[in-house]
Amino acid sequence: MKFVPGQKKDAEEPLLVFQMDAHEEALLLATLRLYPALDNSHHRLSKDPGTAGSSEQRLLEESMAQQQAAHRRKVDELFRAPQRFFKEAQGGRRLVLTGAQLEWLLQVLNDIRVGSWVKLGCPDLEKDAPLELPRANARALQAMHLSGQFQMVLLEAVK
Amino acid sequence: MPETSAPITVPDTEKEQKPKSKDQLDRGYLVICWNDPVNLMDYVTHVFQVVFGWHKARAERHMLQVHQTGKSLLARETFEKAEHYVHQLQAYGLNATMEREE
Repeated sequence: MKFVPGQKKDAEEPLLVFQMDAHEEALLLATLRLYPALDNSHHRLSKDPGTAGSSEQRLLEESMAQQQAAHRRKVDELFRAPQRFFKEAQGGRRLVLTGAQLEWLLQVLNDIRVGSWVKLGCPDLEKDAPLELPRANARALQAMHLSGQFQMVLLEAVK
Repeated sequence: MPETSAPITVPDTEKEQKPKSKDQLDRGYLVICWNDPVNLMDYVTHVFQVVFGWHKARAERHMLQVHQTGKSLLARETFEKAEHYVHQLQAYGLNATMEREE
């Protein structure tokens, strides 16, 4: 998958176009099926342990839950009508997004990435040593890497 | 010529706002982003640009500070504004909190 710069300039709203093959499209959709991956209890308003049960902490969790529900509806919409996002193109497929859809997709992919990382026990990915993980965690590891790869391509469009 | 009716004074039905306490108006709340090994550097830079409206250079400077020193102070704000920023940053999945300035 790669960003195709300078496309669709004539459109009312500038559109961002990404070229991919059928295999990459299938991988992206399989990754998006894992949304949501991050539990709302993961969010902490403050490091201060005294705020753990506060109304502000509850407000944060409610706000994240609402956002997750809104993102979930958009993911469902993508699965219901993939032709609104994916177009046939010469030599493969094209994912066409508005700026707002790109932001939404970045957040969804990051939820999957961070959620998968949490499922893996929050390993230190900055260490050079290979991760030693139980075989059962292979799916979470794959999801973490794939969502990161797709994020990198999407970020090319906003650079 | 149509009659014009006398102006009617409508009582203010808007919900009366609670006066903000001195504590809430105090810009003594710090918005801090903490390092984690999972959020991508380019992604963190992008989020800072979107949430704070910063130029790329400033966003990158804070991203690198998070990466190299473990955290970066992003804003010093009132309680409400700091809370708003933390909600936005966490919506993007960043490890951000608000802390009362000592």
